[in-house]
Order: sequence, then C-alpha cells, then structure tokens
Amino acid sequence: MNVVIDGKTIEAIKGETILECALRNGISIPHLCTHPALPPFGACRICIVEVEGMRGYPTSCSTPIAEGMVIHTQTEALRLLRRNILGLMMLEHPSACLVCERRELCDKYRPKSEKVGATTGCHTCNNKEVCEVRELSADLGLAEIMVAPKYHYKPVERSEPFIDRDLNLCILCGRCVRICKLHQGKSVIDFVHRSSQTHIGQAFGKNLHEAGCTFCGSCVDVCPTGTLSDRYAKWFGRPDAEIKTTCIYCDEACALTIYAVNNKAVMAKGLYDHLPVCVLGHFAIPEFLNSPNRLRTPQIRVNKVLRPVTSEETVQRCAELLKNYTGTSFAFICDTSSTLEDRHVFKKFTQEVMQSPYYFEIIPDKKGYAKVANIPEEVKAVITTGLFIPQEYRNRFEVVIALDIFPSEWTKSADVVYPVATFAETSGTVLDRNNQLRPLVKACNPPGEALPEWSVIQQIAKTISENWKEYTSVEDISRELGFDSAKLNLDRSSAPPASQNLKERREWFKGHCMENYVTGLVAVRNFEEGNPHEEKTSIKIEVNIPENPEHFTVLSRRELVPNTYEFVIYAPAIARKASPGQFVIVMVDESSERIPYSLSDWDENKGTITLVIQEKGLSSRKMISVMEGERLAHVVGPLGTAFEIKQYGTIAILGGCYGIGAVVRLSRALREKGNKVIVISEARSHYMAYYEKELTAVSDRFIQTTIDASSGEKGHAIDGLKRLLQAGEKIDLIVAVGCPFMMMITANETRDTGIKAVCALNPIMLDGTGMCGACRISVGGETKFACVDGPFFDAHQVDWDEVRDRREAYSAEEIQAISFTMPSTTIQGEHHYHQCSCMGRG
Amino acid sequence: MSSSHSELVSGLQQLFQKYPAKRSSIIPLLQEVQGHYGYISAPAVDAMADYLGVSASEIYGVASFYTQFKFTPPGKYVIQICQGTACHVRASSIILEALREELKIEPGHTTPDGLFTLERVACVGCCALAPVMAINGKVYAQMTQDKVCEVIKEYRQKEENKVGKEK
Repeated sequence: MNVVIDGKTIEAIKGETILECALRNGISIPHLCTHPALPPFGACRICIVEVEGMRGYPTSCSTPIAEGMVIHTQTEALRLLRRNILGLMMLEHPSACLVCERRELCDKYRPKSEKVGATTGCHTCNNKEVCEVRELSADLGLAEIMVAPKYHYKPVERSEPFIDRDLNLCILCGRCVRICKLHQGKSVIDFVHRSSQTHIGQAFGKNLHEAGCTFCGSCVDVCPTGTLSDRYAKWFGRPDAEIKTTCIYCDEACALTIYAVNNKAVMAKGLYDHLPVCVLGHFAIPEFLNSPNRLRTPQIRVNKVLRPVTSEETVQRCAELLKNYTGTSFAFICDTSSTLEDRHVFKKFTQEVMQSPYYFEIIPDKKGYAKVANIPEEVKAVITTGLFIPQEYRNRFEVVIALDIFPSEWTKSADVVYPVATFAETSGTVLDRNNQLRPLVKACNPPGEALPEWSVIQQIAKTISENWKEYTSVEDISRELGFDSAKLNLDRSSAPPASQNLKERREWFKGHCMENYVTGLVAVRNFEEGNPHEEKTSIKIEVNIPENPEHFTVLSRRELVPNTYEFVIYAPAIARKASPGQFVIVMVDESSERIPYSLSDWDENKGTITLVIQEKGLSSRKMISVMEGERLAHVVGPLGTAFEIKQYGTIAILGGCYGIGAVVRLSRALREKGNKVIVISEARSHYMAYYEKELTAVSDRFIQTTIDASSGEKGHAIDGLKRLLQAGEKIDLIVAVGCPFMMMITANETRDTGIKAVCALNPIMLDGTGMCGACRISVGGETKFACVDGPFFDAHQVDWDEVRDRREAYSAEEIQAISFTMPSTTIQGEHHYHQCSCMGRG
Repeated sequence: MSSSHSELVSGLQQLFQKYPAKRSSIIPLLQEVQGHYGYISAPAVDAMADYLGVSASEIYGVASFYTQFKFTPPGKYVIQICQGTACHVRASSIILEALREELKIEPGHTTPDGLFTLERVACVGCCALAPVMAINGKVYAQMTQDKVCEVIKEYRQKEENKVGKEK
C-alpha cells in the first residue's frame, strides 16, 4: 500500500495509523496524548494533519492509513493550529516558564528542578528534565499565553501510598485512565465532573486504595506532565543509567528496568509497557536498598561489644572462630534471595572447607523464619545470610556469623557482622517459578563496605583453607555452574502480568519485614486496616488564640499564593528590637533544622512578627504544616545587619517569590525617611502575585510584572526597572530580594548602568551569629558571612555561581529526606489546605 | 454488613435486572436509581459497578458529567427556579438570589435540616406566568422577592405545626 507523506512516497502497512506510519518512516508529527502502549484516543489534537480529499484536519493518531493517501504534516496552517491548541491547553497548566524570555538562562543557572510542595513553574517541577510538554512547546514555538491562565487550587495529594498527584498540572490527556483500564481491566481512576471542573479522580472522592488501586504504578509511568509522580524518585532528576534486570522479591521474576543516579537506584519500572508489575517491583526497590538503616561496615565482637573494623580483621576473626567447628557442628543457613552463584559458593564452602553436611536453603514461614526444628542440635556455629532464626534460639549457638543487609537482634548478638550487597547491587542468576534461569544485573552500588555474599564467603574460605580455588568474578562461578550468560533470557514479554493482589504481596525479604524500610507499604497497610484518614477528623475548624499567648505561638497562617504562606507569630522581644532587612531563625520543633526567614513586617504594640515562607524541602514543609494556635519551638532574632535607613534619593526595590513579602517593612522605612520608593514585584503569573495592596501602601509607585503578562507588565522585575530607566527615571539605588536567579539577573543586567545594586543573600545557615561559617559567600573576592555581614551585599560583586553551588551542597541529603511517605500525623499541611485564604477561588 | 445495606443491594439488584449487564446501560441505570431513591449514593454506584463489570470511578465519571444526577439526598421540598428565556427576561435571577439568601444555600444544594433543595431548571413550560418557581411540581406564578420568601415561610410554618402536633 503506497501513500505520500510530505511529498515522499512511502510503503504503508495495512491497519496502522497515519502517525504510526509516519514515525516508522522517520517523519515526526508532534503528538501528546497518544502513547505506544495505548490504543488511539485523539484527545489532545496536537497530531492533526492534512489529508488531500479529507475534510478538516484529522488526528493522525486515530486515522487509519489508506491506499493512495496524500498527507501533509508540516503546513503553515497546521503549525498555527497546533500552537494554538497547545496554547489553549497551557491555560490550565502552570505555563509561564514556557514563554519566559530568560528560559535558557534559567536552565543554565539551575538545570535541576527545585523541590517544592505545589509546582507553579518548570524550575520547580519534578518532571522538568523529561517533560513532553516542554519539548512540544519548544518544537511548536509557543511564545505567548493568549489570556490569563487558570490555576485550579487543588490540594497536592501527598498522603496516598507511593504516588504524589498534583492535579493543577494535569492536561487531561487521559493516559493514566487508559493505562489503568488496560492493565487493571477497569479504571480505578476516571474523568469526573465536566467542562472546566473536569479532573482525574475516583468515585465520590475515595482514596486510591478504596477505589481498588493496586499501586502498580503504570499511571505514573505514562504521565507526560509532573501531575503523577513516584514520590521517592521525583526529585532525583533525570537518571543517568537504565539497567534491565530481574525482580527477586518473588519467584514471578518480573523483568524490570532500574534507573540510577550516581550509582544509586532511584526508580524501577516494568520492562514492558503492556505488563504491569506489582507494588513491590515498582515502588519498593529503591527505598529498600537506599534505606539509611542498611548495614555499612564489618563489625566484630571485642570485649562483648560490636566494633567496626577492617574487612581483613573481620575475615581473620571469622576464620579463627570457625576453626574449632568443622564437621557436623557447623551449618550454613541461607534462602533463595541469594543468587545461584552465591549459593554455589555457600554450599561449596560448607562441604569442602567446613566439611559439614548441613547446608540449608530455607523456605521462610509467614514471619520470614526458617524451620529451626530442621537444624540439628549438634550445630554450634552458624553463618546466616538473613534474619532467619528467632532470637529465642540464639543460645543454642556458640558462634554466629551474620551476613546481612539490616541490623536486627540477631546481628546485634552475633560474633561477626558483615554487610552484604543484595538485589540490584549484585549480579548473578536466579531461578523463576517455572525453573527458568533469569539474569540479575547489577544496577547500583551497595552501601558502605558491603560486598556480594559469595565474595565474603570466599575470603573466609581462602583464609581457612589453602586449597580453595579462587573465583575472580561472578561469571567465573556461572561458568562452573554451566550457565551461559549470553543465553540467559531476559525476554519475558509473553509472561502473564504480575499478580495485582495487594494482599498476596511478599512481606519479608531475607527475614526482614519490608514495611520497616519502605514507608509507602505502611501507608498501604493503614489503608487496608481502614484507618488512613485520621487527619480528616483532626482538622481544626475553630482556633482560639488566648489573650496572652505563649511566645512563638502562630496567631495566623494563610496561604497567600500556591506554595507561599504568611505567618504571624507572637514574638514580642523580636518585634521590639527588629530593624528593616533583618531575619529570624526558626526551629519548628526541638529536633528541627534551623532555618532563616526574612522578617516581612512586625508590630511592636501587638508583639507580633510576620514571615512569608515558601515550601522548599522538609523543614519548610514542617513549618507550613504548623497551624494557627500551635507553637514553634524556637524563634531566634532579630539577626543580621539591618539595612541602613537614610536618604538615598530614588530607590527601586525589586521583590520576587518570598522576597515580595520580605520588602514590606524595608520599603516603608525608606519612604518614611524621605526617599522616593518604587516597588517592582515579579510573579510567574497573576495567580502568584500577592501583597499588591500592602506594597502599594508603602511605596510611591508599585509596578507588577508577570512572566506570562497575565497581570501588569510582561517580564521579570528587572524588565520593569529597565523600562523605568528607559523612560528617563533617575534611580539612585536598586535593592533586589528574591531567589538567587532573580538577584543574579538583576545584578548582571544593571552592571552597566552605574547604579548601585544591593541584594539580600539567602545561603544555607546554621547558627546565624557568625560562628559556623556555613553561610560564607564571596563578595568582590572577599569571604563574607551572610548571617552577620549580610544579608545585604553589593549585587555586582557577588560570586553568583558560588552562591548557587553552596546552596546545593546538601541537595542529595535534602532530597533523601523528603523521599518518604510521611505519616499524616506529623506532616499534615495539605489536609488543612481548604482552610487557607484561597478557599473558594478554585 | 448491616441489614439496611443488604436490603439496599437486593433492592438495587431488582432494579438492575431490566437492563443488560453492559457498559451501555450506565445511563439508564443511573436514571432508574435516581428515579427510585431520589439520588445516586456511593453504595448504589458500587452495586452498579459490580453488575456492569465497570469501575465505580467510571460510573461516577458519567454521572458527574450530567447535572441531572444528584449525589446527595434531595430535601423534602425541591424548589425549582426557572431560568428559561421568558423567566430570565422577567428577572428570575433576582428570585434565585432571594432564595439563596433566604435558604443560605447554593443552587444544587440542600438545607442542613433536609427540608429544601434549590435547583435551577431551564423551562417549566408556563412562560406566560414568568417568572415562575415550582415546589415539588406545584407552580408558583409571577414571583417577586417578597413572594418567594412568603411561600418559603408558609412551608416552614406548615412543618413546624406538624412537629408541634406530633409532640
């Protein structure tokens, strides 16, 4: 069958769609809602084409190709239509960053996205590095948003197991609904309500578990935006490695792809689009392997206490301990979570080196334990590769050598503990339930000094016996076993899908309860037991603030704009002493991080201070979860050198993000001193602008700029300033307060004007009094401490790359800290969402 | 499972029997359930999902698309305010506004005491009487702000008297 696409004659296959035919022949047609795993849908209409003789613009994803078709995919009319269709779609998606004129500069200065609660732009979107909408927008040349976009003010759903859902980013492509139907038979989620209220949801607002979700994660895999995300993986950014391997949580042995960043497994998916994996395969691997509880260093018992020592000492101790237990007084106890190669070495070690017949491959009972009755009484020394023996049998053994992944009572009472690699940290061969050999491929590094199990046992064997024939690699062992690794079959595309019965999921791995290390599984359990939503009833409707509140009581809390909150806190001593430009350090509870926040305003008479806070990680999430009437553990301040309030002339104050709030008092003080104050406030879009009234009241002129031009002037605050300068306004001083990017562009683009510019730096800070040096920065080649020398510095002298790099110094730890499913009782900000100021706007 | 729940399920099953267990029966079944119970409850949707072999979310998706389907039990008196052309030009919006204030609920909602449900309808079919209000099908003609409040008061009075007698 011949067709012509863009003037090229092409052989088409009967039954394929125009899009499939074009893509197969290397002709790209932009598309969005269609997905290779899914049947044609035709929802987004981005993939429209022109077919000679056909009326209108058919969607290429759903139009079957036919003999003799003459198809055009790149006409001017199509480009315009596609751009307008995307433009309309972007009216209900945070889209300002797509049309930002400094997009390239922003991507260069901050290539990784910043973790936030509610995403309102690309640089705070977990999907940034792999976003299909961003790509499409660049392809189609989207340059403006036609009318003011709509933000839906939907609470970000963060208390479901494993999956975060931010419906404010959803473009209603329906991929999640369709894949759910395909993989689960019926769709647990669907489009609900109509027209502008349409969203993806469950019947009667039930939670996912009630609606029948098995947490296979397929919906997360196909979402083209940041709406659905794997909570654990979402902030790690684009993976730098993809490894095809086999799941060893059970003997279904599903084929998986494991994604890694810096040799750390961060995400897992089923290898095949058409085969869903189970909750464990999709969500329980990275969190389990990266658990902070993992054993990391070899330990031996010295004077009744386990002490970390070198691996050589550990192996030496093992050899000494085992010397007197050859023959039937020794046993080796492992299970099938070790690879066939590992187990070959164990068995060989037991039989040849220890000359014992007692090599046990256990089948764990419901609590993950071995049948201890099968271990003969004469056994006095054991090597175990997991928590297989209940602690009450510990005294039967004189020597215990524990190879393990997690600490337990068993390892704590062992004579030697050796940390080992497991699952994706090691290579080898496993057997599935049909006795087929499957390859296990190393995808990430084990923690600390952990080694593959076979290699630990080999070292002990070598020390005890001179006759041990050394293996140099896993392949060596595979060869001895007769496995041809080249022939090992990873292809499981015709296998049945993994069992989706949540109740049948395996709970134990190497004798360790997986729930203890995978927080989302606890959430699943809570849902199963029917008490997931304590927080629904714990919402405080009325808050009584006492007349004489305790210090650091939150008197009011409101969400000003998405992800940004205003707090009024009772702190009379700080309110008495504060000066414009100073900040405070807050500890939410006794064990919290110390986080600096700018003083937005204060009231000496009422004894209150006002802070504007953005959620940017664990500590600020804790902070914004504090409700009216609750108390903060500590508020220290006022800190930092106050802004010198004197006669400067005309001052332009530029505020962005939290900085809009931070300049209120400063602006007022400067104006009262007789300066002419022009405040320029920047926001991504109209729904991110706040404090217009407050800032108008404390300035001679207030200018709003928005990146998508939906409110006020188009652009960043610096664009507003440039227009002022062009119009002949004489400015004597520029003050910029906001994120480092905003302050950096202000500095760079005012360097040639000769006007002095100061900025308020916000590095990582600890004590805030100049002792620790964590907040050091370079200004004009000199090291300064932002806490005592600042926060205000000459913006033209600041080393901005260093400011960025130092802020990102702990980003891996910061991401790790928020990658867990948090118990709703400790973090419950989102459940109070409807109490916030935006109520009813949505 | 409570007996009321099993009664509900067996009642629903009887209603369902008339229709083939196919996806295309979703709308007729929803209409049947609403006609019988006055609204679409969560257990009813679950039972429909079992019968039709589709998910509850899909049925809810269909039901929530159409304004005719309600998810809360209707009040004892369903007040319909006509928003048709004739009523519209004769200022039915003022009538609706008066009722919103009087009942303190939005259209589509029911008063907390379960007495009144306020609804907007497109045309009642008696344009000559515009603007009209209908309560449980009884039409009140040529309404004004004062008149609607009077009518509501009458209904409230009637209910209070009943309660008084029962006591």
